[in-house]
Amino acid sequence: MTSPGLATACAAMLRRDLTLAWRRRGDIAMPVLYALIVTMLFPFALGPEDTLLQRIAGGVVLVTVLLAMLLALDAMFSSDIEDGSLEQLVLAPRPLALMLGMKILAHWITTALPLIVIAPLLAGMLHLPGAVMPVLLLALLLATPLLSLLGAVLVALTAGTRRSGMLLALMLLPLCVPAVIFAAGAVAAAQQGLPWLAPLAWLGAALALAVVLAPLACAAALRIALDA
Amino acid sequence: MASWIPLWLHKLGSPPTFYRFAGTLRPWMLALALLFGLIGLYGGLVLAPPDYQQGDAYRIIFIHVPSAWMSMFIYGVMGMAAFIALVWRIKLAEVVAMESAPIGAAFTFITLVTGSLWGKPMWGTWWTWDARLTSELVLLFLYLGVIGLYHAFEDRRQGARAAAFLAIIGIINVPIVHFSVNWWNTLHQGSTVNLFGPSSIVWAMLWPLLCMTLATKFYYAASLFRRVRTDLLALEGGKDWVRKIAESEA
Amino acid sequence: MTSPHIAAPLLEVRALSFQRQDEPVFAPVDFQLHAGELALVEGDNGSGKTTLLRMLAGLLHVGEGALRWRGAPLQRDACTGDILFLGHQLGLKADLSARENLHIATGLNGQRAGVSAAAALADIGLAGYEDEPVRRLSAGQKKRAALARLLLLPATLWLLDEPYANLDRSGIARVNLLLETHTAAGGAALVTSHGAVAFHGGEPKHIRMHA
Repeated sequence: MTSPGLATACAAMLRRDLTLAWRRRGDIAMPVLYALIVTMLFPFALGPEDTLLQRIAGGVVLVTVLLAMLLALDAMFSSDIEDGSLEQLVLAPRPLALMLGMKILAHWITTALPLIVIAPLLAGMLHLPGAVMPVLLLALLLATPLLSLLGAVLVALTAGTRRSGMLLALMLLPLCVPAVIFAAGAVAAAQQGLPWLAPLAWLGAALALAVVLAPLACAAALRIALDA
Repeated sequence: MASWIPLWLHKLGSPPTFYRFAGTLRPWMLALALLFGLIGLYGGLVLAPPDYQQGDAYRIIFIHVPSAWMSMFIYGVMGMAAFIALVWRIKLAEVVAMESAPIGAAFTFITLVTGSLWGKPMWGTWWTWDARLTSELVLLFLYLGVIGLYHAFEDRRQGARAAAFLAIIGIINVPIVHFSVNWWNTLHQGSTVNLFGPSSIVWAMLWPLLCMTLATKFYYAASLFRRVRTDLLALEGGKDWVRKIAESEA
Repeated sequence: MTSPHIAAPLLEVRALSFQRQDEPVFAPVDFQLHAGELALVEGDNGSGKTTLLRMLAGLLHVGEGALRWRGAPLQRDACTGDILFLGHQLGLKADLSARENLHIATGLNGQRAGVSAAAALADIGLAGYEDEPVRRLSAGQKKRAALARLLLLPATLWLLDEPYANLDRSGIARVNLLLETHTAAGGAALVTSHGAVAFHGGEPKHIRMHA
């Protein structure tokens, strides 16, 4: 009997989720469209005044990306629960946390990465100065995986319940407050010409912590949610 | 792991034992809450001198401050009970954690309302994004998340375990939120209004405050005992000891 | 893969019961399963057959009673790869083909030596459907695609929940043959089923479940 290593299992997991996402690539476009629409509404609501839009651009883009991610978060485990794949994953002789980490990575690649790619466009629509753009992208690159990781734990907790998008938002809000504060804080600081590295360093520290802890918490949460 | 801990917890945590224990203590708790509450309110609203700066407006602290303390204290109790519930799967701990959440949420809500009422004469506005107020608001959402998750499950015990897990995540989150909100506050405004200098409180104001703190603690105990007793009856509906109670009261 | 000299039963279940909302789902169950044995779990709808299997698989926590694996208290980490569970939900992704689904399963669980995914699918009667998305297969074919895992994955104990559901006559015969070869090779299986099973490799054990 041949027993493949952990790397093979991780690769199989990652390939599986990416293939699935690719077969339904229409779904990938949804959060992107949503983010575009929401961003477009702001100038209509606030008026096309450049200075005002410029001032709120960073924050609006961050919150829009967060909401778009929240929209896609619900689906992270739902299809796997419906067809029993999740049971097979839990029973597989591989560390569940690691496998879930792969799932979270795949989810981040398919939902957050497209949003980061269009973030310059969103920010451009609101006249964010070009010089601040790299800071915004850096903040998004650190904040979105953090949100994916935190979200995964919460989605795992709600896995045993009926569909619960609102509940997820309610649970995620307190957890994502620090991420939003630091990410938006870095962008705001850069816009005012202040040093912006410190808040990003905090984000990075939180991300490093979450990368280690969140998959473990996610595995524990899933075992609770499936145990009924 | 010391093996006597689960043993000891199992003994006190046995539902019929706790049901009786809580039933005996509850009236006393309620009486003490009333007593300390009345003394504290009289001392705070009548005996204490008006503040030289804020006049009588400061008197809301006799509600606001004990509530704020309770909102955090109850979260701590909930977190500890949640931890015990998850590690040792003790039913009573699940019930205590889940029944603490609505009481804690109520205290948090009172804190927010009284804080905002106090803010109107002090800051000239009902709401300000002060670091403490914002943290308190986030705390309210943590409570609501726990309550919401608990009720989203068909199976109550499973819901309790999931919500207990969320409560523990929240405990880790509270200091992070507080720190980040503080940081955010210094970034966006000047220094916040300092309501309480460390030495500004005099004994005539302090003792009613302490009385009110005791009153809220006892009220929490009384309220928790009542809720836990009801829950235990519902959860253990099929057991003999509940049947006996039902027969004796029928 | 198995060691016939071990006299201890592969799986031993003592006074196992499960409570949901403090209502016992089934009366305490006791049985032993030795290597090379097949056991049929019988009982009416709602008697807890699926619950029992999910408990043995490790999806549900053991409330009361004890489980022993090869003579020692069962440790989940030590035997996860040795137990294969196939439930009502087949664990197939509808957007992937049967072959891709099998590749995921082997990637996660490992693979028996000398069996390829193509051979397993042909053996189970899905030749020609290997690359069809599972969504387009019939219910019986989906079941077969899930059963192909039995051929491919290394496991000693099979926990099969209603393996005959949706299968035609030839499919049922195929499952029986699978069980026969598995037990002959020293494996063991626990099968839930309403209907009678024509099993030729000796008389199967019967486990009655009562609510």
